Amino acid sequence: MTGGYGAGHLAKALAWTTVLYLVLPITIVLPVSLTDQRFLSLPYETLSLRHYANIFASPAWLAAISQSFALAVASTLLAVVAGTLCAVGCWRLSRRASDLVRVLMLLPLIIPSIVYAVGLYRWFGRLDLLDRFLGVALAHAVTAIPYVVITVSAALAAFDARLEQAARGMGASLPQTLRWVILPRIAPGIASGAIFAFIHSWDELVMVLFITSRQVFTLPRKMWDGINENLDPTMAAVAMLLVAFTILLLWLDGALRRRRGGDA
Amino acid sequence: MRRDLGWWALLLPAFLMMTVLYVAPILQVLAISVTEPTLGTGNYERLLSNAGVQRVILTTLRIGLLTTGIALLLGYALAYVIALARPAAQRWWLLGVLLPLWISVLVRAFAWVTLLRRQGLVNQGLQALGAIDSPLQLVWNEFGVVVGMVHYMVPYAVLPMLASMREIDPRLLVAARGMGASRGMVFGRVFLPLSLPGVVAAAVLVFIFSLGFYITPAILGGGKTLMTAEWIKLQILDLVRWGMGAMLATVLVGAILATLAVFSRVVDLRRLFGARA
Amino acid sequence: MSAGLSPGAGHALELAGLTRRYGAFTAVQDVSLSVASGEFLTLLGPSGSGKTTILMMVAGFTEPSEGHVRLDGRDITVLPPERRDFGMVFQGYALFPHMTVAENVAFPLRVRGISRAARDEKVKAALDLVQLDRFADRKPAQLSGGQQQRVALARALVFEPALLLLDEPLSALDKKLRGELQEELKTLHRRIGRTFINVTHDQEEALRLSDRVAILDHGRLVQQGTPQDLYERPKTRFVADFLGRSNFLAGTVREVRPGAMALLAGATRLVQAVPEGSPRLALGAPGVLALRPEKITLLAAGETADTEVTGAIAAWSYHGTGFALAVQTADLGLLQVALPAWRAPIAPTEGMPVRLGWPADASVPVAEDSHAA
Repeated sequence: MTGGYGAGHLAKALAWTTVLYLVLPITIVLPVSLTDQRFLSLPYETLSLRHYANIFASPAWLAAISQSFALAVASTLLAVVAGTLCAVGCWRLSRRASDLVRVLMLLPLIIPSIVYAVGLYRWFGRLDLLDRFLGVALAHAVTAIPYVVITVSAALAAFDARLEQAARGMGASLPQTLRWVILPRIAPGIASGAIFAFIHSWDELVMVLFITSRQVFTLPRKMWDGINENLDPTMAAVAMLLVAFTILLLWLDGALRRRRGGDA
Repeated sequence: MRRDLGWWALLLPAFLMMTVLYVAPILQVLAISVTEPTLGTGNYERLLSNAGVQRVILTTLRIGLLTTGIALLLGYALAYVIALARPAAQRWWLLGVLLPLWISVLVRAFAWVTLLRRQGLVNQGLQALGAIDSPLQLVWNEFGVVVGMVHYMVPYAVLPMLASMREIDPRLLVAARGMGASRGMVFGRVFLPLSLPGVVAAAVLVFIFSLGFYITPAILGGGKTLMTAEWIKLQILDLVRWGMGAMLATVLVGAILATLAVFSRVVDLRRLFGARA
Repeated sequence: MSAGLSPGAGHALELAGLTRRYGAFTAVQDVSLSVASGEFLTLLGPSGSGKTTILMMVAGFTEPSEGHVRLDGRDITVLPPERRDFGMVFQGYALFPHMTVAENVAFPLRVRGISRAARDEKVKAALDLVQLDRFADRKPAQLSGGQQQRVALARALVFEPALLLLDEPLSALDKKLRGELQEELKTLHRRIGRTFINVTHDQEEALRLSDRVAILDHGRLVQQGTPQDLYERPKTRFVADFLGRSNFLAGTVREVRPGAMALLAGATRLVQAVPEGSPRLALGAPGVLALRPEKITLLAAGETADTEVTGAIAAWSYHGTGFALAVQTADLGLLQVALPAWRAPIAPTEGMPVRLGWPADASVPVAEDSHAA
C-alpha cells in the first residue's frame, strides 16, 4: 500500500514473534487433546480420541454443554432484541439527546465483571434469581447488549437515512418502517451482534461463579473446576471443542460480512 | 420531541434492563462499601492501615503497568507491520490477532498452564535439550500471570493503534523518504507522532482491563499472586466480609473511571469501544 | 388513461408565515404562499436559500418554528409525515435497494394494508405510466439513473397522493437526460392533473416545468409568478440576476412623465417605460435598471432607439446560435450583448466600435436586495 515505505526487519521480527506468541499456545491444545496418555502430555506413541469419547460418555459434561448452549441462546435472543431496538433508536434520535443512553450501554465493557458479579450476588438474592436459569440468562443478556449495540450501530452508519424518511413519507408507521426497511438492511450487523453475544455467554465465567451453585452448572464452570482440581487430557479435549466452536462462529460472521460486502 | 416518542420507546427495553439489572446491582455494591458492617468510612480507612489490602493494590498496579508496557510494545510492532502490509497479507495478520481475542479466556489460561507448569511442555522440552537440570518455576507466580495477561491484552492494544495508524496518509511516508529522510527518521519524525493518539487509547484500554482482571491471574497466579479481583472474590465468597470486598470494588471502579476521565480529552470513549465508526 | 391513476382530485396547499430557526440561524423566514389545486409550483433558489427546508415542512419531516401549513383549509402543521398522504420523490430517489422495482412501487400500498390483487393492479398501472413495466422484477441497482428516477415517480404516485413533492428530482442526471425527463414530467402533470410542488436550483428547469415559480433567497420569498412574468418583470436585482442574465444600469432619475421616465448615467440618457400601476421612482432618486443581453440591438448608421450608447467590443465569443459580446462603454461600464449569429450585421473583432440601442420597454427598474450580500 505504501510503495516506497515498508516495515523494517526489526519490526517484522518482533511482529512475527508476537503473532506466534498469540497463536502457538492455543494450537498446543490440539496435540495434547489427542494424547494416548492419561495425563497432560504430547502423544507418546499414537494419537487417541479417547478423551473426546470421555466427554461424550460423561453425563456431567454433556449436561454442562447443553445448559451452556441453552443459556447462550436465551441470553442472545434477549440481548439482540433489546440491543437492536436501542441502537436503532439512538441512531435516529439526535446524538446529544441519546448520548447518555449510549454511554450507559457501554458500561458493561468498562466496569470489570468481578464488580458486577459481586453486585449481582446480592441483588439476585433479593430477587430470588440465584442459581436459576433465568437469572444467568438475564445477567448474560445485559452484559451482551454492548456487543449488539456496537455491531448494529456500525451497520446503521452505512444505512441511508433517507430510506427511513422515504418510508415515513409514503405512510409507513414506525413498526412497518422497522420491519420492512430498516431491519432487512441491517440484518448482517444484527447477525454479527448475535454471534458475539452468543460467544460472550458461552465463555462467561465470573458471574457464573457468583450466582450459580448446583442447579445451573455451565461448561466454563465445569472447566474451571477441572483446571483447579484435576488437570487431565479431557480438559484439553473440551478446550479444543470450544476453540473449534469459536472458530466456526467467527467464520460464520466473516461469511455474513462478505455477503453484506458483495450486496452493497 | 412529541413526534420522536416512538423512537424513544425503542430505547426502553435496553434502558430498563440496563438500569434494573446492571446499574442497580453496581450501585448497591457502592452502597455496601459505606454501610457494612457499620455505617461510615471504616472500610476505606483500612486502605491506610491494612497491609494486606495495600499489598494487593501495589501488586495490581505493578502487574497492570508491566502488562500495559509489554502489550503496548508488542502490539505496536504488530500494528505497525499490519498497517504497512499489503491488503492480502493484512487479512492474515488480522486473523492472527482476532482469533486469540475471541478464544475463551479459560481455554487460553488452560493452554498456558499446560505449557508452563513444572511438568509442562516448556520445562520438558528444555530438559530434553539439556538446557536446564531442574524444572523452572514458570507459573503460579507473577511471571506466569504477566505472560497470560499480556497474551490476553495484545489484541486489545493492537486494535486502537492499528485504527489510528490506518488514518496516516501513506503518501506522507513516501514523501518523507523522497525528501531524503532515512527509515528511522521517517518513523521517528512522522509515523510515531501521528500514531500517538492510538498508543494512548491502547494504553488506557489495556490498563483499565488489567486492573479488574480475574480469570487469568486466578489460574496462573495459583493463589500466590493476589490481584484486586481475586481478593474481592476471597472477601465475599470465602470470608463473607462484604464491606471490605465492596470497598475495594468501589475503589477499582473509581480508579477506572478516573483513568478514563483523565484521558477523555485525548481518547474518544465511544470510538475506543467501536460505537462510533 | 391508466386504470389506477384517475385524473383530477388535486388539492390546494397554503403556507402561512412559515418560519424555521436552527438556534440563532433562520433558515426560512415568514414565507406565505398558496398553491392552487392542480398547479405545478416550483420553489427556486440557490443552495442555502431555504427551499428544501420549506419542502420538508410541507412533507412533515421538519416542524416549523412559527406559521402554519394548511391542506384544503385544514391545519396539518403538526401532522406526522406518515399521515399526510403526500407523494414524494426524494433527492437521489431513496429507492429501497433490497426490494425489486415492483416491491418499491408497492410499498406505499403495502403500508396501507391494500390487498395483494388490488396492489398488483395499481403497481402495474403506475409502472405503465412511467413506461417501466418491463423492469418490474429488477433491483434498483440494475437500472440507469433515468429509470430510477421514474421508479421513484411511480412509487410517489401509486397511492394517488393529495400532493406530489419533488426534491431536486432531476439534479442527479446528465444534461440531455434531464431535458427529456423535464418533458415527461410536464406531460405527466398535465395527464394526471395533480398538485406538484418541485424544489430545484436549476432556473431553466423551473422555467420549463412550472405554472408558477417562487424564488427564494436567504430564507425569504423574494418574488412569485408565472415563469414569463418573473423573467420579463423581475422585481429585484437578485431575481433578474438569478433567472437568466442581466445587465444592471445605475443612474439618477431626471425626468418623470406619465408612462415613462428617464435616468441619467454620466452623459447617457436611459429611457424607461413605466406601465400603469407600477411603482414610480422620485425625481433625483438613484435607480437601477435590469436589461437582458438579447434585448440590446446593434444600431446601423442612421438608426435610432429610445436609449443609445456607444462603445467598443472588449471580448466576444461564438455559441452557434449567436455571438456573446462584451462591450465597453464610457457611462454604463461593460455591457453583455447577445447577437443572433444568423445574418449578423457585423463580424465581431476586438476593439471594433459599435453603437447599441434598446427600446424603453426592454429594461425594467429593479430594487436593490434588502440583505447585504
